[in-house]
Amino acid sequence: MRPPDFEAAQLALTLYFRALSGRTCEIEPYADDADHWQHPDTVTTVRLPAHAPAPPGLSAADWYQVSMTHRALHHALGTFALDLGRPEPLFARLRPPDSPSDVPALERFVRLFGRTALAIEVFAVLEDLRVDAAAQRLFPGLAGRYAQVRAAALDERPDLATVPPRSAVAEALVQLSLGASSVTAPDALRQPLALVVSVARRLADPAATVESSAEAAIRVYDVLAGLPNVGGHRAVRPIRFADLDADVNDPRFGLARSELRLEGDEKFDVRLVPVRYRDVPGPRYAGQQTSGMPLQEAILRMTPDLDAQEADADEDGFAAKSLAAERGDVDVTATERPEGPPEPLPHDHGPDLDDHHDGVHGHLHAHGRDEFVYPEWDGVAGRYLPDWCLLRVRRPRPVRSERTHRRTLAQHGHLLPGMIAALERVRPAGRDLMLRMPYGDDLDLDACVDAMIDLRTGIQPSDRVHASMQERRRDVAVAFAIDFSSSTAERLPPDPRHPREVQRILDLQRDAVSLLVEALERIGDTYGIYGFSGGGRDDVRLSVVKDLDERRSPAMMHRLEGLTPDHTTRMAPAIRHLAARLQRSEAATKILLVVSDGRPYDFDYGQQYGEAAIMDYALADTARALDEARRHDVRPYLITVDPAGGDYLSRMCDPREYHVISDARDLPESLAQLYVVARAESRARVPSPA
Amino acid sequence: MSSTLVEAPFYLPTGDEVELFRAAYEQRIPVLLKGPTGCGKTRFVEHMAWHLSSEPLVTVTCHDDMTSSDMVGRYLLSTDGTTWLDGPLTAAVRSGAICYLDEVVEARKDTTVILHALTDHRRVLPIERLGATVPAHPDFLLVVSYNPGYQATVKDLKPSTRQRFLAIEFGYPDIERETEIIAHEAEVDASVASSLAFLGDRLRNLDEADIIEGPSTRLLIYVGALIRKNVPPLRACDVALVQAVSDDRDVQEAVRQVARAVFAE
Repeated sequence: MRPPDFEAAQLALTLYFRALSGRTCEIEPYADDADHWQHPDTVTTVRLPAHAPAPPGLSAADWYQVSMTHRALHHALGTFALDLGRPEPLFARLRPPDSPSDVPALERFVRLFGRTALAIEVFAVLEDLRVDAAAQRLFPGLAGRYAQVRAAALDERPDLATVPPRSAVAEALVQLSLGASSVTAPDALRQPLALVVSVARRLADPAATVESSAEAAIRVYDVLAGLPNVGGHRAVRPIRFADLDADVNDPRFGLARSELRLEGDEKFDVRLVPVRYRDVPGPRYAGQQTSGMPLQEAILRMTPDLDAQEADADEDGFAAKSLAAERGDVDVTATERPEGPPEPLPHDHGPDLDDHHDGVHGHLHAHGRDEFVYPEWDGVAGRYLPDWCLLRVRRPRPVRSERTHRRTLAQHGHLLPGMIAALERVRPAGRDLMLRMPYGDDLDLDACVDAMIDLRTGIQPSDRVHASMQERRRDVAVAFAIDFSSSTAERLPPDPRHPREVQRILDLQRDAVSLLVEALERIGDTYGIYGFSGGGRDDVRLSVVKDLDERRSPAMMHRLEGLTPDHTTRMAPAIRHLAARLQRSEAATKILLVVSDGRPYDFDYGQQYGEAAIMDYALADTARALDEARRHDVRPYLITVDPAGGDYLSRMCDPREYHVISDARDLPESLAQLYVVARAESRARVPSPA
Repeated sequence: MSSTLVEAPFYLPTGDEVELFRAAYEQRIPVLLKGPTGCGKTRFVEHMAWHLSSEPLVTVTCHDDMTSSDMVGRYLLSTDGTTWLDGPLTAAVRSGAICYLDEVVEARKDTTVILHALTDHRRVLPIERLGATVPAHPDFLLVVSYNPGYQATVKDLKPSTRQRFLAIEFGYPDIERETEIIAHEAEVDASVASSLAFLGDRLRNLDEADIIEGPSTRLLIYVGALIRKNVPPLRACDVALVQAVSDDRDVQEAVRQVARAVFAE
């Protein structure tokens, strides 16, 4: 379950990040009590706290926006695109000449230093400083909120007086990067502080690049490496950054000098308390394009004895799992999906919604725009039960990944050209010459003669004197109603061809729809995609993945992922609703294509006439709903993956109106083909204009 | 549609398009302008026509119900019988104007075929209904435009049509040029214009991902124009930009957040 703060902001934040950086990302929450160190961002994942630690006066959304801006600007400003050869304008060059190499520039850079972890820390803080300065400059609208978040982060920083000199100066750098104007530190550190501050504040210059940060990192590292990492200080006093000044190109600065082993080096490393709104330096800062393991593991990865170390550090298997995920070995989305809801209980009608009832057995009422009531055909009594089913239209919660869609295309993409060709073939060509039209390309000679006669004899002539070539209307609107009852979550028996792959009908349905969407987009039919399920007559659910007049969007594919199965298959209200929806479409051909995995069934669907009557009752109502649709010029077509489907479908519709797929695994391949059939069938039965 | 303009329409070149068009005009090679909506195609043609042609520009906005008679002309019925009325294309062919067919793929396929004889060495317009062939005036030039982005893939120019044109591709201008364009067109100061151009540049990252189309320079100019009329910047972005680029709530929210980052409340 994702926390509410997070849930509300997630998708918009992803798009916001994309607008600023031009890159996609997935946002992962981490628990509030988790160690931020354990959650570095990766190339594709941004990790944010589940609850935003927003200071008073700032909303969670604001805090997240600042945090995402910071991350996006790392990309936009090139933090991870370091080029060791590229000149930069702010410092005298200390970097060694660059030579071509397969090793990423960032990794080559941090390998220049004896203490890799320290070098990464320093470089990361300097980049944070540069990015924050740029953020406030580029986004004046956000600057106020940004400053508030930074000020709150500054308030939480540790006291310099309690840490040894090296850590103290490093901490002063973090505080400078958060906008501090002074620190309280011993006088002995004044000189190193002057060097570090003078170097770092140059990075606020708009001309600073990531290479400037690299130059600055060499200098700051040099200062820090020369300071002991044990011992405290006696007398401290405030030191104002503005009073500090040093030559940033001091010839004492240098790279790769033999580093002294100073007291405390073996035991203590500089480990800065992470700043919550920033990303912690993960493996990306060491040039690694891989998963989200913490920094220490990333550094170990650069050493040859990888396996032993990693096994040691990766207690919960986090690094290994995420590595596997990035390699594509694990279906990450599968872990996100529920394993299927519990089997419905006999009288589980979902939430108690008594306010929809007139009485226990009476009419239902719709409240609001998203509720509709439909009658039901009682085949046993031979009459309609008015206002009997309450249908709720809802939007499935978008699930963030398009991975499944892409995987489907990778898997089945080869089918597309054939499908599109088949769909194109059924597009009818031809035109009709329409005479006596009020407008048109040519004059209709007969009508003109009549008009002239009328005119000469003093009668008002008709203005319908044109002949017009009109294309036969060929536009098609199709609504796909997909059964998302709980039975679709059942696992199919293993496929002998791929015995290790576990599939469920709903996965196959998603695949089929993904593929179909691609075909439909290419041929330009108007289409809507809906999932239906139910939990009693007062709780029929219709999930709108894409409405008929809606444009295709990434959000739509996310919603397809978000369709989760629940309860039962009360098909008729969904048919009635979608037939009414199609009826409002202006398309010449309207098709309702229903995909199901079993016969219509619900908890309160004919049970009143005894067990034996249940199936007949449900079939009669569904058949009646299909009839109503046909009367509204909506052509129904039913597809089932239930091998026994023929037994009941033949009782509800014409043989040309249904198809039974005996192996559900054929669904992705068949759905589009069946759509071609349905389309051709329905066209054949549309009367052409006289 | 044609009109006489006193002043040259403002156009800021983003590349060598002015020189290319001029060269094409001198050789009377038909021109195809490709590019996203609102990037300045129409304005460019207006600008070039003002400089090159003595006749006012003839613009025809194509749509899918447009027939060849809408372009070529038709017989009308009057008390004395029938009279022929030239369509805009025929009028331009006769007078030697530049004729601009905007969004040409929107027109029916049979409509685009009538352009064939006009766009090769023959330079004539056959008019079936008159049983006549109208030779093009020496100054006549055909210019068409289309936006390869938003039309369904089925709507594309036939190769036989397409290969009669020199194609100039348009993109959105870079930030500096767009700033200048917005400042000029919306009459706002440089800081507002540069903020708008920066905003547009960021949002086009979403265009590349096919999440939205644009935003176009035209839309940014509208926002600027509202700001000039003292509409608060965020409100102007909301009505002229956020609502225009998407109906999806999450996308709108993201666009709004970017606008809120660029403009102070």
